[in-house]
Amino acid sequence: MLSGRLYSAMEVPLLLESVIRRLKRDKVALVAVCVIGLYLFAGLLSLAGLLASGFAEQVGEAYAPPSWAHPFGLDVLGRSVWERLVQGSRVALIVGFFSTAIAIPVGAVLGLVAGYFRGWVDALVVWLYSTLDAIPTILLLLAMALVLPTGKGLATVCIALGVTSWVSTCRVVRGEAIRQKELDYVRAARSLGAGNLRILFVHLLPNVLHLVLVQASLVFVYSIKSEVILSYLGVGVQNFPSWGVMIDDARLELVGRGVWWQFAAATAALFVLVLAFNLFNDALKDALDPKER
Amino acid sequence: MPFLSRVLPLSVCLALTLLAGCAPERDPGNVYRGALISNLKTFDPAQASDSYSNQSQFQIYEALYEYKYLARPYEIQPCLAAALPEVSADGTVYTIHVRTDIEFQDDPTFPGGKGRKINAHDFIYSIKRLTDVRTDTYGWWIFDGKVKGLNAFRDASEKLPALPDSIHPALYDQEVEGLRALNDSTVRIELTRPFPYFKYILAMPYAAFVAHEVVDKYGPEFLNHPVGTGPYVLKEWRRGLRLTFARNPKYHHGFYPTEGSPADSAAGLLADAGKPLPFIDRAELYIFNETQPMWLNFLRGNLDRSSIPKDNYSQAVTPGRGLNEVIRKRGIVLNRMWQLDLTYICFNMKDPVLGKYKKLRQAMQLGYDVETVIDRFYNGRGIRAQSLIPPELAGYDSTFRSPYGEYNPARARKLLAEAGFPGGKGLPELVFLTVASTEARQRGEHFAQNMAAIGITVKVESCTWPEYLERLQVSRYQLVGASWMADYPDPENFLQLLYGPNKPPGENNASYQNDAYDRLFEEMTRLQDGPDRMAVIRQMKEIAAEDAPWIFAVHRVAEILSYQRIGNLKPHAVAESPIKYYRIGEGK
Repeated sequence: MLSGRLYSAMEVPLLLESVIRRLKRDKVALVAVCVIGLYLFAGLLSLAGLLASGFAEQVGEAYAPPSWAHPFGLDVLGRSVWERLVQGSRVALIVGFFSTAIAIPVGAVLGLVAGYFRGWVDALVVWLYSTLDAIPTILLLLAMALVLPTGKGLATVCIALGVTSWVSTCRVVRGEAIRQKELDYVRAARSLGAGNLRILFVHLLPNVLHLVLVQASLVFVYSIKSEVILSYLGVGVQNFPSWGVMIDDARLELVGRGVWWQFAAATAALFVLVLAFNLFNDALKDALDPKER
Repeated sequence: MPFLSRVLPLSVCLALTLLAGCAPERDPGNVYRGALISNLKTFDPAQASDSYSNQSQFQIYEALYEYKYLARPYEIQPCLAAALPEVSADGTVYTIHVRTDIEFQDDPTFPGGKGRKINAHDFIYSIKRLTDVRTDTYGWWIFDGKVKGLNAFRDASEKLPALPDSIHPALYDQEVEGLRALNDSTVRIELTRPFPYFKYILAMPYAAFVAHEVVDKYGPEFLNHPVGTGPYVLKEWRRGLRLTFARNPKYHHGFYPTEGSPADSAAGLLADAGKPLPFIDRAELYIFNETQPMWLNFLRGNLDRSSIPKDNYSQAVTPGRGLNEVIRKRGIVLNRMWQLDLTYICFNMKDPVLGKYKKLRQAMQLGYDVETVIDRFYNGRGIRAQSLIPPELAGYDSTFRSPYGEYNPARARKLLAEAGFPGGKGLPELVFLTVASTEARQRGEHFAQNMAAIGITVKVESCTWPEYLERLQVSRYQLVGASWMADYPDPENFLQLLYGPNKPPGENNASYQNDAYDRLFEEMTRLQDGPDRMAVIRQMKEIAAEDAPWIFAVHRVAEILSYQRIGNLKPHAVAESPIKYYRIGEGK
């Protein structure tokens, strides 16, 4: 049995408070949170139309290199790479948020149900995620992006990523639920007459929440990276700047014309955000580790 | 260890020798070395559906007619025919005299291994074989619905046993009403209606002469055993590596052209006028699956001719459109030719907004900065199109100007206001459909940017190629970026794109309908080349320019590099790589 304490639903704020306290002590985590916050801030400002609203306008000569006026240079149509970069961060954060919002509840609920009930329910869920997992991810994403009735675009990307990236969460939560359901607190709840739903969501869920939180941040990063790949392949975000679209544009300019700034800006933006999230993940994992609590 | 110490160097030497064997040798004598960017699939003329097959087959097989090497606009001349076709007054009956002094190349199939003389029956057989459903050709469309009785022959062929059984069925001996050999040297073709461009069809590789004995003998292996009448014979075919052609000793009927433009004369292209062809003893075509190895081999002098891979464009050509000094010093010259094509933006005339407001369409044409498209996306290789017909095609007139064939945003805004949408007010968002490739999307974004500048909001939607084609066929789009490349060098091939009865699923993707245009088109199809036909074509161009069912965009230019040692090289958009005209060692 792990040495960490167990939580009830009422005590979830306590868990979060303890996590925040631990994260505050981790300097690397703080830097990562600041970087993520900057991206979030830029994304929100662009969403409100306060930043980079002229991203589609021609502001100078095509392929103008970085200058004081345009520190990230201009692209093939004379548009500001900086403004497109900011709009790209907005797309990345939207995709990350919504696909995580779909994938995590689906994965967590299916994992809990499978692990708690076992039997044919478990067999069905395991069959479902094993089948989904056996299909190459990018091919599955491509197929979903092409057939979804929402048509091509941001919504489709979010849905496609959401319904394909719940597998790892489900697997992890199922394993933990199998272990936890045999613990005394679950047996005690059952002997006191608690129903299955109450045990699942009031007793078990708070005690697998630390895994769900870590999974959420992993899915967030995975979604951002996948959106870039889908947009690069031409089935992602339509009619709007995205880092994938920018890298796709830059691919031609880089080899033929030596125009490096768009490629450098988009890959650096992606790299920094993914790195910040990964560092944050590590810190979060440590903060949530029951052995440390 | 002693074993290894002996074997290792030996293996390395062997590997290096093998690798060296894969690369073309430098300065091999009177040999032309070209490149194919694809594996050749077949030597069967009925399957010559891509330009690489055409290039390869052009060296071996011949048809009744061929393109004049130097003439622009493109014209045909007799090849296996004795003269140009005699066409009846109503344009439906073609009488063609076939030369009977030309022989197939030698092959064990023929008695004594000696190729026999060709005759009119060979042509009839070749077309019947092309028509036979079992041949499974991509080329049936060139005769589909055009020759009396030929479609019935095709239907009858569906009942034949599957190949390779019955490779020469009795059906082939039955006469087809519109396709007859009157004797050994005369062919009579009756068309279902006049097709003035039919002569070009008789020059296509699909219509090449094949000997029935050769097809009968080799059966399914015929695609590996080309036996033709052309300037070269296939000496060696190393799959995925190299094709080697040697001079056909029985080829005596080809002569270098004696007529050309003053520019041709100045370029030394008439120095060999009247001389027997070919000049080169052996031709080698190397197969590359990637452009970079081809490009590097070309720069090393291992290939005589190469296209410019798009990623190496700035390495080869300067911003001033000249050849880079380093490349020029290697003895490389840049050749340009018109591609016989047109890129355009098509309006869906069924759309309630775009189809209704002519001035809106005209405004959008005026607001589209085509010059920037040419500069950014085609490296300056092209001109703004003023009509459907590209340069070097009959019917092209460099002085013709569409009233809306210029970039003039101020005039565009004025017309937009006259259409009832001042500053774009009241106009819904329009959707521009394009294929999901980087450049196509960028061109779409550029168009949207141009339209935004005059107040029109355009959203770009990318889709896969099959979806794109499907949506064109069912008219499920508002605006679409498209291009058309000539199937044959006749203006009809472009003008039919706006002919009313050709509406989707036909080629008139705009669903454009104008009775006056349709009447003129029908009249044009009845007229043979001449001033009357040109006058009708001009009227059609004027109607299309005024109605603006398309935004005419770009006529593109292709660029080819070659070494100076290759003489007599004039790029040809229809007959690709006609090696028989090239000469080694006397380049311009």
